[in-house]
Amino acid sequence: MLTIKRVETVVSINQQLDQAPGCGRDCLGNCCIPGAKLPLYTFGVKRTSGFNKRAHSGSDDHCVPEDTGDSDDYGNSDSQQDNYFLDELLLAQWEDRMVRGLFRYDVTACETKMLPGEHGFIAQLNEGRHLQKRPTEFRVDQVLQTFDPKKFNFTKVGQEEVLFQFGPSEDDISEYYEKAPVLASPNVVAINVSPIEYGHVLLVPRVLDRLPQRIDQDSFLLALHFAAEANNPYFRLGYNSLGAFATINHLHFQAYYLAAPFPIERAPTTRVAYGRKKGGVKVYELTKFPVRGLVFEICNSMEDLSEAVSNACIYLQNENIPYNVLITDRGSRVFLLPQCFAERQARGEVDQEILDTQVNPAVWEISGHIVLKRRTDFELATEEYAWKLLAEVSLSHERFEEVKAACLKAAFEQNSEVVLADTDGFSTVLSNGGTYNCVERANPTLKGSQKTNSSMDAVVPGNHGEGLSVEG
Amino acid sequence: MSLGSTSSGVPEKLKMDGGSGGRSGSFGKRRPAKLEELVESLSRAYNEKIGHALGQHEYNFVLSDPRLPDHPIVFASEGFLRMSGYERDEVLGRNCRFLQGPDTDRGTVVEIRDAIREERACQVRILNYTKQGAPFWNLFHMAPIFASDGRVIHYVGVQTPIAPDLASQAVPVELPAEGVVEDGAVSSELEDQTPVEMRLNGGGEAKVDEEDDAEPAMVNEDLKKKAALAVQRVTGELTQSCRVEGAVLQNRRVGLSDCAANGVVSSSLMLSLTRIQQSLVLADPSLPDTPIVHASDVFCELTGYSREEVVGRNCRFLQGPDTDPEAVREIREAIQAEKPCTVRILNYRKDNTPFWNHLHVAPVRSATGKVAYYVGVQLDVSDADIPMRGDTMSANAKQLSAVGVVRVAVRSLQGSGLRRSFKTPQPN
Repeated sequence: MLTIKRVETVVSINQQLDQAPGCGRDCLGNCCIPGAKLPLYTFGVKRTSGFNKRAHSGSDDHCVPEDTGDSDDYGNSDSQQDNYFLDELLLAQWEDRMVRGLFRYDVTACETKMLPGEHGFIAQLNEGRHLQKRPTEFRVDQVLQTFDPKKFNFTKVGQEEVLFQFGPSEDDISEYYEKAPVLASPNVVAINVSPIEYGHVLLVPRVLDRLPQRIDQDSFLLALHFAAEANNPYFRLGYNSLGAFATINHLHFQAYYLAAPFPIERAPTTRVAYGRKKGGVKVYELTKFPVRGLVFEICNSMEDLSEAVSNACIYLQNENIPYNVLITDRGSRVFLLPQCFAERQARGEVDQEILDTQVNPAVWEISGHIVLKRRTDFELATEEYAWKLLAEVSLSHERFEEVKAACLKAAFEQNSEVVLADTDGFSTVLSNGGTYNCVERANPTLKGSQKTNSSMDAVVPGNHGEGLSVEG
Repeated sequence: MSLGSTSSGVPEKLKMDGGSGGRSGSFGKRRPAKLEELVESLSRAYNEKIGHALGQHEYNFVLSDPRLPDHPIVFASEGFLRMSGYERDEVLGRNCRFLQGPDTDRGTVVEIRDAIREERACQVRILNYTKQGAPFWNLFHMAPIFASDGRVIHYVGVQTPIAPDLASQAVPVELPAEGVVEDGAVSSELEDQTPVEMRLNGGGEAKVDEEDDAEPAMVNEDLKKKAALAVQRVTGELTQSCRVEGAVLQNRRVGLSDCAANGVVSSSLMLSLTRIQQSLVLADPSLPDTPIVHASDVFCELTGYSREEVVGRNCRFLQGPDTDPEAVREIREAIQAEKPCTVRILNYRKDNTPFWNHLHVAPVRSATGKVAYYVGVQLDVSDADIPMRGDTMSANAKQLSAVGVVRVAVRSLQGSGLRRSFKTPQPN
């Protein structure tokens, strides 16, 4: 068993507290949920296959490409394309929580700079993010771990930290309800009280189902929809697996705004000839970047992109390879980055000078956005340091070639079944198609065991029975 | 503040479409540039000979204005229209992203976007589409032109289609003498000046799927020089046709940090601000008397002042005889404490009519972590005692979203911000 010691980041105020049962704190547990009301945003979903304009579309702060062709061909009205409601909602809600003092510090007061050099690494001095607590021990050699309800998880988050519920509409129109009952299996967007940047939130699919930190088809598709619906190229999503510096073993994605490109987005790529027609997805490999990784780009359908990437992630999880995922460009471009820093750290193979900066290279750091705790590190930070840090993260060339080949195979295999073995020996069979209640999928291979709710369950007030009526 | 319920018991669904404009602006939408703004964009900078001057060139190019909402095209050459298959009125006022399509490389787009953010030139190979949907490879070369105070007035974008057959590309090209800039403008050396990025993107050595619809074309040196020459020529026309002598420059005369220090809002920051459909002002506390450096269109509509009449003034001109000094004091104290505040204050329009202003003021910090601006977001609540309810987000939420947009933009784009710095090569 390999472990490292690190200080846990506090993402929610309640994480620091011990909660008694019946907490009375307005959390998301069974004690507080009944009768609770939270805002609800439902995103429109195109039900027919074909080019999903949303992924490409929308205007931008700067000149950004948009698809051509008549909107008539795809049945999408222009108004959907130009919808920035979610973006503005999220910013409004986040600013509201700032005014209410829910964050541990003002992240905009943290100095930040782009390090000299062509790659444009971004460093931030953030002395308040990390607690002066004793580091806790984290297991780094087990990507799949069972959910432990005794540990902090997102059902213990105070409702004031939740910005809104997020799920699919029944049709292709997005809607917003300022007060809605908490759904049976809601996906929520909550603030991160120790933000890395303005607007730092957590997307927690099916929060009440208490899923462990592992990617599945539907949750990944939800994340892509979140990125696409926000319609802002400077709003990116990230995912860290266990062993790749996820702190909390409760399924979540992170997201925040930064109006600058990440070095990883600038990095040149070479096309990998795999799966364009088969998978409807373009695949590239990063070149001239310290971390080896794959880039998946949308062609026609967000579902195809989601399926390919989540299959690859599921493969990595099953093979116990820690990895990070970065979703950029409004959900049309996804970076998949297997890593081995923690393992090397546990084996004592990482340069001590690098360790002294106490940077845990998770998805944001790998992308090129590095938060530093000590002023001296910040003053002296250079592109060379960033490169050196990230070089320790990357799989070796040989190992990456093996992993790449296997990932691509997993990504584009149709109708294959992936057997997920839990640590206690209980197996769940997941089909490739996933569930998607209101959509007719090309290959619906629903097995009997796949009866759990999906994060993509259409939001229909009152649909989930149990007498949940919709009230004003 | 609860919105209550409708009689049917369904939770009140807030319409996403807040209507077009209006005193409160609309939430979730962005307005396109108006025709008069497009016309004025050219006439303000150049003399009346500009149409003729630009029209005599065969190049395919556009001019775009980054200080108008969504960075629209303000001029398109005949060559551009022929190449793209569009009519002029289908192109003017639109952002040129319409040229891109499903197979356009996303990484290339990042590069163009970043060139605009860094206010520098770029040259990329990009897959574009005609109006009919036919893809073609395009050597796209873009360069900013500057006013003497350092702001970007326009971007020149030249498109040179790349023929698939390389052999036909050996066109002899007349090049300007090295080191001579055609318009005679002085190239000054500044910390923020950047060289033209001549990187070409698009996966030159890619192993490509046979299933790809479009073959990536190779670009030879001649083509690159041809494109660069075209940009030079067009830029030359612009600098020579400027309305005021020496007012339009090929190279930046004032660096980004100095621009900010002078109260000039850079074009890349302006691009973010013009998307906000609320009434707002930005005021700069580092300048004497904290003057307004930017006022939104909706602010001008609300108060009756033109932008020129308010930029450079402290916003106390909105106060009048019946304005409660308590409210003024509250704002002043909040600013001194670098804290946000919300007040309901009686303000006066240019025509002296009063209105109740639900005003939210907040400090906004730049990348340095220090306060760079104060943002004030106004809402006319004269018609109701409480902030508006009903078919849009609550008034307070709209104001907060404006603040959020400003925060994200100012953090990365104010002053030198989060941009790469390049050293200018020394001329001999």
